[in-house]
Amino acid sequence: MGGFIFRYLPMGVGPKHGAPIHVALVDKKEIEGSGLQEEDAIELIAGKINGPAAINVFDLEAATTTSDGVVIPGAIVTMAAADRGKVHKEFGILHMAEMEVTEELVKEEPHLAPLGVLYPGRKLFRGPDPAEKLIPVHNAVITGKAINNNSATEIMNAVTMEEMLLPILGQLQAMKDGDIVFAVTGPVVSVGIGMTVAEKFGRVFPTRQFKAGETAHNSAAYARNLKAHIPCLVAPKEVLAAFILDALECGMVPGRELGCSPAVLSVAHALGTEIALDNISSRAWLELESVGVCRKDLEKPSPMMAREEIILKADNIIPGLDEPYRVKSTDYFQKISVGV
Amino acid sequence: MRMMHTSLPEFKLKLKGAVVRQSPHKSIEIRGLENLKTAKMQSLRTGRIEEAVEQVAAGKETSKVEVVVMPRVPETMHTVIVKGYDDHGNPTKAVLEVINIIHPTEDVELEGFEQIEDRRPSIGRH
Repeated sequence: MGGFIFRYLPMGVGPKHGAPIHVALVDKKEIEGSGLQEEDAIELIAGKINGPAAINVFDLEAATTTSDGVVIPGAIVTMAAADRGKVHKEFGILHMAEMEVTEELVKEEPHLAPLGVLYPGRKLFRGPDPAEKLIPVHNAVITGKAINNNSATEIMNAVTMEEMLLPILGQLQAMKDGDIVFAVTGPVVSVGIGMTVAEKFGRVFPTRQFKAGETAHNSAAYARNLKAHIPCLVAPKEVLAAFILDALECGMVPGRELGCSPAVLSVAHALGTEIALDNISSRAWLELESVGVCRKDLEKPSPMMAREEIILKADNIIPGLDEPYRVKSTDYFQKISVGV
Repeated sequence: MRMMHTSLPEFKLKLKGAVVRQSPHKSIEIRGLENLKTAKMQSLRTGRIEEAVEQVAAGKETSKVEVVVMPRVPETMHTVIVKGYDDHGNPTKAVLEVINIIHPTEDVELEGFEQIEDRRPSIGRH
């Protein structure tokens, strides 16, 4: 039996008002190495922080998908919310559902096809099984003031009502001690325009409610403003570009297999791969055009850039983020030891 | 056993009465029901809450009792009715929408309390 460490971002750190609650990220392997059960380790972290906190447990040897359907290595397997050392016994912890990767699943969710090529044998996690949770709609855990939502990618303070977005790639950067970008979401990121793929037990939706090329928010030009002023912690754009390129190089087509997010569309156009323009719904186009992503531009000849060039110029190619600043995650996330 | 229900005004009166029974000099504040104009309150629990109010009010050092009613499940689903009327007050158009609201859990109301008795049954039970 030994101790374990977790990565800790204090409340208030980050752009604007900063993180609305404390953030703790912990590797499942660390917990296993300590001999503790996951729930006990979460209780110990909650006690160490003693304030409103989101606690996310990672399996870095598993895989997940981004909101636009790009398969990536590493996954959140458990999410928790704590306040003043307590984890709510009914609403405080939620485990993500492991999805058995079968031919049938890949047929239903074709954006998963790269999984077998890029990350064979990895377990797949996105969101929880709705039958396992007591919060009726959102994939959220709540204790006191702390709200950890959308399968641990959005945190809120129920009293100050401040919020921060923590997309999966940004958190994985922190878990790898890599660079992260602090920013304000801005209109492009806002509510994840174009970021929908059909997933059972998805990070946000439990059923295959929205397909690639559709819009979940379906609020036309209002979408760009819904969450445009929220601080976020994301991966550098070159990291996002590389994973999108991986999926495109596996034959994934934006609007058909992948979501039609501005990032995915921009990288596909730069690379010169197919975009299913006709499959993007008129309502999704309204949202995309409201943030300057227009069909006529995507129909122009591609610059046919090489992978390396796209990664190098990712900050110019991928739109979105206001007031971004890149930092070393290790300068902001403290490593806290927990003795057992 | 029949599951009787208590009217909202009667519920409030009962809780006030439970404090006054201890002392007319002690006060009570009920929060969380302001938005309800008409409602029927579960009688089985009304009696238990009356008893709890009286027990808390009985404390020698207690001079004020607060009763907070909040959603037990911290996400509630609501229907939103958008209604238009003309100059004469006649209905023009209505749209039904839905909104899910996330609330803090009860812990935010319990800061500083060391004596907490949780008498709630598990979710779904009376």
